[in-house]
Amino acid sequence: MRWMLLMMCLFASLAQALDYHLQPRQIADGVWLLEGSTDNFAVENGGNIVNIGFIETADGVVVIDTGPSRRFGEALRQSIEKTTGKPVVRVLLTHHHPDHVLGNQAFADTPIAALPETSRLLAEQGDAMAENMYRLVGDWMRGTEVVLPTEEIQEGVLAIGDRRLQLLALRGHTGADLAILDERTGVLFAGDVLFYQRALTTPNSPGLDVWLADLDRLEALPWKQIVPGHGPVTKDAAPFVQMRDYLDWLDGLLREGAEQGAEMNELIRAPIPERFAQVSLSRYELIRSASHLYPRYERNAMERVDTNP
Amino acid sequence: MDWRSLMLLALFAWAWEARAAAPDPVTSVMWDYYHQRLLNGEAFVFDDKVRLEVPPFAEDARQVPIQIDASAYRGKVKRILAWAELNPIPRILDFAPGEHLEPSLAIRIRVEQATPIRAAVLTDDGVWHIGSARVEAAGGGCTAPSVVRAEAGWEERLGQVLGKRFVRGEDSRLRLQVSHPMDNGLVGGIPEFYIEQAELRDADGQVLGRIELFPAVSENPTLTFDVRGDRHAELWLRDNNGNEFQAAF
Repeated sequence: MRWMLLMMCLFASLAQALDYHLQPRQIADGVWLLEGSTDNFAVENGGNIVNIGFIETADGVVVIDTGPSRRFGEALRQSIEKTTGKPVVRVLLTHHHPDHVLGNQAFADTPIAALPETSRLLAEQGDAMAENMYRLVGDWMRGTEVVLPTEEIQEGVLAIGDRRLQLLALRGHTGADLAILDERTGVLFAGDVLFYQRALTTPNSPGLDVWLADLDRLEALPWKQIVPGHGPVTKDAAPFVQMRDYLDWLDGLLREGAEQGAEMNELIRAPIPERFAQVSLSRYELIRSASHLYPRYERNAMERVDTNP
Repeated sequence: MDWRSLMLLALFAWAWEARAAAPDPVTSVMWDYYHQRLLNGEAFVFDDKVRLEVPPFAEDARQVPIQIDASAYRGKVKRILAWAELNPIPRILDFAPGEHLEPSLAIRIRVEQATPIRAAVLTDDGVWHIGSARVEAAGGGCTAPSVVRAEAGWEERLGQVLGKRFVRGEDSRLRLQVSHPMDNGLVGGIPEFYIEQAELRDADGQVLGRIELFPAVSENPTLTFDVRGDRHAELWLRDNNGNEFQAAF
C-alpha cells in the first residue's frame, strides 16, 4: 500500500512536470501570442521554443502553427477556448518544421491549411523529424504523430469572419514559408523567415540570397508589430536589421572561406562577431549551417580539373 | 566476504587499472581492439600534438568533416591511419605522405552512430602518436540510401573531379571533390563500389603521396592535401572495379 502511494506520488509529480503552462498574451485587438524560449530543443522545455499565435474573428479563431507535440497542441487548444470562448475554425501552418506542426493532432477536426510545398515537405520529412524530436525532448512527445495539412492555400488575401489576413508565400527558410499579416491590427506573423535574438536555422534553405530577398518583401508590408518565428515581439524593424546583418555575415564567411580553401572544420570554429553575442545558439547553428550550406559554396569556388581520357 | 568488501575491492582494482595505463582522452572500449588489429599492438602514445578536428556533433551523418594535422611531426611521419571506432566500417584511410606533402589532410566520412574517431600517426622512431576526438550523432549515415544514385545521369559524371589549388604563403592547398557513389555494401542490393587508391604525383610522375581509402568515406569524396611549394600536382584514382580517373592541379 505504501509502495502504491509512493508510485502514485511519483507519477503525479511526473505528470505535473510535463505541463507546458501555456499563458496566452494579448498583443493587439483579438491577437494572442504564446512566446517560446530561444533555447534549443531540450527535455527541460518540451520543445516549446517557438512562437505560436491565434487571431479571434467573428466566425471563430484562426491558429498560426500548432507547436512541437501532441501534448502542446492539446494544451494550446484548451487555452484558446478558455481565452476566447470561441471554436477554432482554421489552422494556418507557416512551414513544415516539427516545432511548428507536430501539434496538428489536436486540430484534426478543423481545416489545417498550408502552402502546397509545405504539405509535400511534411509528407517527405515529417516522420524523420518527429523521430528526431522524440530523441531530443523525450516523453513530452508521447503519442505525437504527423498530421498532414488538409487544405492548400496560396499567396493573397484570406477573409475569415470580420478579418482580412494577407498571406505571403516566401522561400528563404525552407522553400515554402508562409507569412501572415493581420490587416486590422498590423500584426505580422513572419514565421521562421524572421528569427530575432536566436540564430537562424538553414536545414532546408534554398540559399541565403533567396532569404535576403524575402526580407525585402516582408519589410515592405504595412506592419505595426512583428512576431518572429523565434524570439521576442517588436514594434520596430530590429528583427529585419539583425537578420540582414546575420545573413550577410554568414554568407560572407562561407563565400570567403570557400575562396580561400577553408576546411569545414576551420569554418565552424571561426570567430562570431561581438555584435551577435546576444543571439542565442549562434555557434551551434553555425556548425549546422556550415554542414547544410558550405558544400554549395565549395563547389562554386572549384572548377573541373579532371583529365580523364 | 560481504558485498561492501567486494565493492571496495572492485573500486581498488579499477583505480589500479586506471593508474597503470595512460588515460584515453575519449575513453573508448574499442581502443584495445583497434590497437591490436590496426596497429599490431605496437608502441603508441595518446598525443594531443596530433590535431584531429571534428564537429562536436554530426549534423549530416553522411558527410562528417574530419581534419588531421600532424605538422608537429613534420619530416618524421611515415603513415597516418584514421578510423571511426563504433562504425560498422571503421577504417577511413591509410595515408603515406611523401617529403613534399604536409602530414595533414581533410576528408568527409559517414558515421552510423556517435563514435570516437582516431588518427594514428607513425613517426620514424616506430611510435604511433594517437590523436583522438569524439563526434555525437543521431546516426544512420552508413546505411542511408545513396544521394548520388538518386541523381539522374550520375554514371556520366563518374570520376569527374572538381578542384582548386589555393596558394597559402609559400605552400599550396589542394582541395578536390570526386563524383563517385562510394557504395559501402550496407545498402540493400548495391555491392561495394568505391575509390580505394589515390596518388598525388608531380610532373615527372614521381609519387608525392599515396592514400588508400575505405568505404567509410562519404559519397563524392571531398579531400584536402597541403603541398610544399607550388609544384604541379596530378591526381590518380582507382576504384575497386578498376576504373581509373585523373586530374591535374
